[in-house]
Amino acid sequence: MKNFGITRLALWVTAAFFFASCEKVIDIDLNSAAKKYVIEGVVSDKAGQSKVLLSTTKNFSDDNSFASVSGATITVTDNIGNITTFAETAPGIYTAPALVGAVGKTYSLSVTTNGNTFTAVSTMPQKVMVDTVFVSDELLFGDVTKLVNYAYQDPLGKGNNLRFVEYINGLQVKNIFLRDDDYTDGNYVQSKLWYMPDNNDDKYKIKQGNKIDIDIFCISQDVYKYWFSLDQSATGASQSASPANPVTNIKGGALGYFSAQTYQTKSFIVP
Amino acid sequence: MTKTYLLLLLMLATVSSFAQKFTVSGSITSKTKGETVIGATVRIGKAATVSNEYGFYSITLEKGEYKLEVGAIGFEVNTQKITLDRNIVLNIGLVDESKELESVTVTSSTTRRSLGNTQMGVEKLTTKEIKNIPVLLGERDILKTIQLLPGIKSAGDGNSGFYVRGGAADQNLILLDEAPVYNASHLLGFFSTFNSDAIKDITMYKAGMPAQYGGRLSSVLDIKMNDGNIKDYDVSGGIGLISAKLNVEGPIQKDKSSFLITGRRTYVDMFLKLSKDSAVNNNKLYFYDLNAKANYILGKKDRLFISGYFGHDQLGVGETFGLGWGNGTATARWNHIFSNKLFSNTSLIFSNYNYKISIRSGANDFDIFSQIRDWNLKEEMQWYLNGKHSVRFGINSIYHTIRPGEVTASSSSSINSSYLQKRYSWENAAFISDTWKASDKINVTYGARLTAFSILGKGDFYNIDANGKVLDTMTYKSGEFVKTYFNIEPRAAVSYQYSSSASFKASYVRNVQNLHLLSNSTSSSPTDKWVASTNIIKPEVSDQVSIGWYKDLHNREYELTIEAYYKTMQNQVDYRDGADLFINSNAIESQLLFGKGRAYGIEWLLKKKTGRFTGWLSYTLSKTERKIDGINNNEWYNAKQDRTHDIAIVGSYQLNKKWVLSANWIYYTGSAVTFPAGKYQVGGQTVYYYTERNGYRMPAYHRLDLGATLQLKERKHWSHELTFSLYNAYGRENAYTIEFRDNKDNPNKTEAYQVALFKFIPSVSYNFKF
Repeated sequence: MKNFGITRLALWVTAAFFFASCEKVIDIDLNSAAKKYVIEGVVSDKAGQSKVLLSTTKNFSDDNSFASVSGATITVTDNIGNITTFAETAPGIYTAPALVGAVGKTYSLSVTTNGNTFTAVSTMPQKVMVDTVFVSDELLFGDVTKLVNYAYQDPLGKGNNLRFVEYINGLQVKNIFLRDDDYTDGNYVQSKLWYMPDNNDDKYKIKQGNKIDIDIFCISQDVYKYWFSLDQSATGASQSASPANPVTNIKGGALGYFSAQTYQTKSFIVP
Repeated sequence: MTKTYLLLLLMLATVSSFAQKFTVSGSITSKTKGETVIGATVRIGKAATVSNEYGFYSITLEKGEYKLEVGAIGFEVNTQKITLDRNIVLNIGLVDESKELESVTVTSSTTRRSLGNTQMGVEKLTTKEIKNIPVLLGERDILKTIQLLPGIKSAGDGNSGFYVRGGAADQNLILLDEAPVYNASHLLGFFSTFNSDAIKDITMYKAGMPAQYGGRLSSVLDIKMNDGNIKDYDVSGGIGLISAKLNVEGPIQKDKSSFLITGRRTYVDMFLKLSKDSAVNNNKLYFYDLNAKANYILGKKDRLFISGYFGHDQLGVGETFGLGWGNGTATARWNHIFSNKLFSNTSLIFSNYNYKISIRSGANDFDIFSQIRDWNLKEEMQWYLNGKHSVRFGINSIYHTIRPGEVTASSSSSINSSYLQKRYSWENAAFISDTWKASDKINVTYGARLTAFSILGKGDFYNIDANGKVLDTMTYKSGEFVKTYFNIEPRAAVSYQYSSSASFKASYVRNVQNLHLLSNSTSSSPTDKWVASTNIIKPEVSDQVSIGWYKDLHNREYELTIEAYYKTMQNQVDYRDGADLFINSNAIESQLLFGKGRAYGIEWLLKKKTGRFTGWLSYTLSKTERKIDGINNNEWYNAKQDRTHDIAIVGSYQLNKKWVLSANWIYYTGSAVTFPAGKYQVGGQTVYYYTERNGYRMPAYHRLDLGATLQLKERKHWSHELTFSLYNAYGRENAYTIEFRDNKDNPNKTEAYQVALFKFIPSVSYNFKF
């Protein structure tokens, strides 16, 4: 709904028109910058899912491995003052198996590492249940593409935001799937997880017999803003004239987000 | 303001003359077609003037015998003797320049540019001049061709958007027969909305805009349609690779009235339909446009023009997605000659731009509609006071209605219908300017434009804090004034012609803009949003100072122009990081940031207008920066249109009577872009870390185009030609976008890749005329 991808469309149109657009990998000499901390903090309503990932940025030419940061002190405090300390269970991964969040509660995150302190606050939003998921065929520029459909009843009152993660045979589709209710408030919403699979990359194409898993998170407005702005301007594929860091809810100068969110998962085999 | 008037009155009062003076006036037309000729040079003795946009001229001189000489590009010079012992009306019909090669080499003093004229920063092109310049897919396009001139930069490959002296694409006032055109592009920018077959003349003002123009910061592009042949019927047309066009014109009543209808349509979608694959033949992609004009000579003193334009683009992917957009304009103009010294034009103008997006995807069944519409009344007088002064003054009133976004959903749709409130505004202006021949060598133009922009109810307006949060809402009733912005825009220019072949000029201009285009994509999009000034969005203001040196070289075969400028811009608008372009809220200001800009540069142009070989060499050295509160740590950064070097070489050579060969070569520094300074993992994927806005450059852009026109056998009443072109002749892969991703085969690595659009695009088109 949000991103109509007009410029992307322009590229397709041109390609269709002139059969001429061509793509090639190039070398760009990118400057390196001082490292920044990256926090991906989650308090979930599902036991065992509350965790904080702490890492740093890397140079563009480095590999994509997780640049973990160990030895940080991480706590989450709820709105009645219960403090939970997260323990590092793998490098840069801090968990609190006992922390199960509840809808409507507000959580405060505190991360202290190497003399830096970062804080954030998040309130777990109302849980909206997706009741239907299935796969349908879509005709996209001459190719039949299978896409995942979903449906749910949106509760009355704006601000119900969903984020989806799609897995094909356990492989995560690297797209940010979001849904807000700005234009659909109070309705029975049916939509699709839209993406254009790369024609040469078969593993991201849904085929008969594939196992599909869909994780569904209900996220607060500021976390929605984070994912929305990340998708708009920091995924490297954006056509935005002004790429920028996403709008974070973390204070103290770290990248990333802190989200108190609900969790639901749906699985099926493509018929 | 009162000071300006006083000064003006004083200057007029000092002009007292004792010798007996008479006026020669009239209109200049083409003899074969009766088309009025704009900008023809009229010389009588030492005095000179140019015909105005309706072909009218007026010169006042002392009693005597004179040689009168009239010249214009594409016409033979008309010379005659006149005896000025009373006021005379002299209408002159110019004969088309003969196609014989011999005559082309004749240089006439009257077709030269006017060195003494105060107007600077001006570029003029006639469709005759652009005829042979090679273009993409053979579609002659004035908006593409002007981008080959200095100071006017292309917004990118295949984009008809352009940047003038550091201005953004929305800071150009594009007028078609006086009607503002809000989106001048077809097919997402690959072609412009102007069908060159219907166009007579274009004038681009980069600096020193005359006081009758206002409303945009950076430039005025004044496009005039043909009037239609008043003598005889003409049918002409062409078939190209992507479109076909037809032009019909002729007298309604010979020598009294004429009409013109020009249409163009692309037909690529017809090929799509031939496909058996339903996924292909369901796709839609076309545009068409229609220009129509009627003109009536009502008497010796009155003339009426009615003209209109309608264009539409349609893009569709199966049944699921549709996007249609288009402009419509209509102009009615009435010329009245009050006296041989006082010329009046009254215009009633209508402009409309709208787009509609249709989504039909299961339960998502809805349309999004948006529109901007103007009603515009203009009265302008030109008073050729005496040999020393000519004054232009007038008023202009525009009522704007903007419908920012309306979602209409079917009852079964999961989308709710919703309407963003309509925005109303009323733009009024009064202007006056005087061109004063201070001495034989010095001319001065000075004047001002007073504008009042009123924001009207009904509607809600907001107060917003630094983070974009709405603090409170103010509700206004229908017709209630929310706010009025008053601005004075002084305009001044002086020329000093120190020799018969050289002059200096200097000018200062202030421009104010109250309609702003919000765009967050790298190329122009039909869904970019026009917003009017509000209590929060302030009028944009620019001040520009420029100086220039003009020299005719080598027996006037060459014209050299060097101009330098410095421009500042206030109240520039940009989107916040992570702004939502389709936000379902009336407080669009919550998505915006404000700041300022500055631009400076030097432009060189060497032009050869006569002989077998004609063409030009253009070079611009410039800098454009922005400083927006909330972007780049509030520090100056390169605007995306900042390009250090910009070169164009354009040439065409008349080989013989049959063949004209042409070529152009373009080079410019890549646009300023933002690239990542690092990367990190979030949500299971690689994302990028940014430290600086527009800290990098796209690779330099360059391209060679070749063209050839073959004149086929001519008969009486029948001529036809074939035009060949090769766009991007050496196949340079110019980067359209550069993006970043994980390597497909080794996801542990990231890579940068570029997408290029056009590589060797050959084309052939056939044009005929009878």
